[in-house]
Amino acid sequence: MSHIKTKDKTWKLAYIIAVPLMLCLLLSGCSSVKKLEIFKQEVEREKLNLNTPAPLSLEQLRWIIITSENADEVFKKLEEQGLDPVLFGLTDKDFELLAKNFARIRNQLKISNDLLDKYKEYYEGDLDNKDEK
Amino acid sequence: MGIRLFLMGIIISAVIGAGAYVMKLQRDNAVLKANAIKMESAITEQKELITQQKEDFKEILAANQKMNELVSVLKKDLDDLDKRFNKGKRDFGKLAIERTQAMERIINNGSVNASRCIEIASGAELTEKEKNATKKSEINPECPSIANPNYVPYQN
Repeated sequence: MSHIKTKDKTWKLAYIIAVPLMLCLLLSGCSSVKKLEIFKQEVEREKLNLNTPAPLSLEQLRWIIITSENADEVFKKLEEQGLDPVLFGLTDKDFELLAKNFARIRNQLKISNDLLDKYKEYYEGDLDNKDEK
Repeated sequence: MGIRLFLMGIIISAVIGAGAYVMKLQRDNAVLKANAIKMESAITEQKELITQQKEDFKEILAANQKMNELVSVLKKDLDDLDKRFNKGKRDFGKLAIERTQAMERIINNGSVNASRCIEIASGAELTEKEKNATKKSEINPECPSIANPNYVPYQN
């Protein structure tokens, strides 16, 4: 009789130890350390979007050709028009150089502007399409 | 009894070992599958990147070509200006003495045209008249390349 009682006690002890142990194992088995996910998201750089400068609007000027023959007449006309009888002169060669210098400045201006447009088009997409949007 | 226990131990160990091996194979398989998916997506990304790079190169080439074309037409405008002053044995100063009024008119017209060229180069919009100019008499002779896009130069 006492032998049966001892056996029951052993089983009881075994349950007391085994059940919590199994539960612990079960729970710890279900839980897992999550992998840390590091992700990279590319954030596009803000566009510069500077306003395009307003195109030039130039004043018209008048050229007067003065020769040894018409000098008196030219100065007389200036006085009649109420202008100071003074002229800032260029020789024909210097006039030619001035015209060419202006053409070079104009070309450079055009190239620089087009270059800016091309850069903007390349880095910020099609300008025409963007305008439409 | 001892032998039986020993054999049972071996069998149990074998079963557990086999189970562990199968589980290891399953884990390896899962890793390989994940690797294959990653590889496929990497290949797709690489293909997209290569396509994008090809398009970029095309765009760069086109932009370069356009800039070179612009530089050459602007240079032609400059050469034409030089010709206007020095064509043949033309002496600009002598002409100004002989035909003062006419030269004054020509120079003032040229000055108006040159100013307009600078306005266009600085970004001013072309007028309809400038856009539609196709004849030599309609163009801005100072800078037809930028002022009159529809004008095709011809020799007369």
